[in-house]
Amino acid sequence: MVSILTFIIMIAVGAAVLGFIAVSAMFLIWWERKVSAHIQTRYGPMRVGWHGVLQSVADVIKLLLKENIVPEDVDKPIWWLAPFFAVVPSVMVFVCIPFGNLFGIDLIARDLNIGILYIMALTSISVLGIFMAGWGSNNKYSLLGGMRSAAQIVSYEVPMIISMVTAVMFAGTLSMQKIVEAQRGMWFIFQPNMAVAFLIFVISATAEINRTPFDIPEAESELVAGFHTEYSGMKFAMFFLGEYTNLFIVSALAATLFLGGWQGPFLPPVLWFLIKTYGIITVLMWVRWTFPRVRVDQLMGFAWKVLTPIAFANLAVAGWILLK
Amino acid sequence: MIKYFINIVAGAISLMKGLFVTFKNLFSKAVTVQYPTQKLQMTERYRGLVDLRIEKCIKCYMCVKICPTACLALAHKETAEKKKEFVYFKYNMELCCFCGLCDQVCPTQAIYLNQIYEIAVYGRDKLRDIDLLNTEKYGEWAHPTVK
Repeated sequence: MVSILTFIIMIAVGAAVLGFIAVSAMFLIWWERKVSAHIQTRYGPMRVGWHGVLQSVADVIKLLLKENIVPEDVDKPIWWLAPFFAVVPSVMVFVCIPFGNLFGIDLIARDLNIGILYIMALTSISVLGIFMAGWGSNNKYSLLGGMRSAAQIVSYEVPMIISMVTAVMFAGTLSMQKIVEAQRGMWFIFQPNMAVAFLIFVISATAEINRTPFDIPEAESELVAGFHTEYSGMKFAMFFLGEYTNLFIVSALAATLFLGGWQGPFLPPVLWFLIKTYGIITVLMWVRWTFPRVRVDQLMGFAWKVLTPIAFANLAVAGWILLK
Repeated sequence: MIKYFINIVAGAISLMKGLFVTFKNLFSKAVTVQYPTQKLQMTERYRGLVDLRIEKCIKCYMCVKICPTACLALAHKETAEKKKEFVYFKYNMELCCFCGLCDQVCPTQAIYLNQIYEIAVYGRDKLRDIDLLNTEKYGEWAHPTVK
């Protein structure tokens, strides 16, 4: 009896998470189009619904109805699996993202005691999807995109994880919920060395999710569309969904680790969490539509010569502060 | 070592400048218009369709002569009081290259290019033999905002 109830709860939570992901991704696509349009002094989508809010819905319907083209010489199993590898890890990360609490219920699917470690492990898997897509497409542009993505994500994982470790050291726990609780009273970002860690985290996270200025895996001007050149219809939509889910995840992580997560005065916790997350997302969009794409050598140089040393120095400072 | 840090700081400052520019743009008014519902007013010297101020025309045939594509056709007759009267004044938009020479050469500014820019039609017959003497000739093309 208990197991059936647990099962029903699991299904309900899963459905809620999936629903949230889909709605959030559609909102983010619309929001990104709006932000980019206004940065370029345009209007953006205006016709479908109020200020084009339903544009993403129309796009999704279009993508669902589109023909699923399979090029002749693709490596079929790998090619078919790649979009799932791009989406599923991002969805799994939602297990331990603390959304706050509503009517006394903690809005977190499962507060794992190794939350951060779990998230780090899963976010690294999505590179596998990109690499599989690049290899399986049997296309030089896709392969180049996949290779670049692998190199980039491996490089930027180092400063990103070190900056996350700084937050973990201050909180003294790996559980996401407890990290938020450790920031009661003062958010981590208000400490100087944590502000540096936050900056490093945001920069390397931007690279981690392949967004401009670090979007060399899908650099339009040189690689057509990079790893998803050969994909169309719903498979392409899955890459897109994965990309925007990853965007949400890194912003939610930044909010949780450095900005006090769902904590804040007056407003309900869920609202605080969403305000912080979408605020960081907006900043990332602002950055995307401001800066040009960096070259591959600049990208690698920046990761290894600037971010990693600063992250390590910052970690040492954090250790010294804690031992003092 | 000092150069390394100077580089990083200078880079950060230059990035900030870029962000400031886009931030200003984010809150500035859009320069585009919502086309079918909102239309631009063309400028005075825009080269739209050839149009005629009938009362100003002195039938000097300068426009007909200068037209490089021969898209204008004009004929007149003299009345008993030695006044020139139109027989016809036709404009073939299919041939027109919108060069504006007729406008420039006209001594009385009778012929001119108007501001109509939505000139796509469903049939070629609508483009041929447009009667410049008919004041309602561009009625269905002219948008309310276009004078």
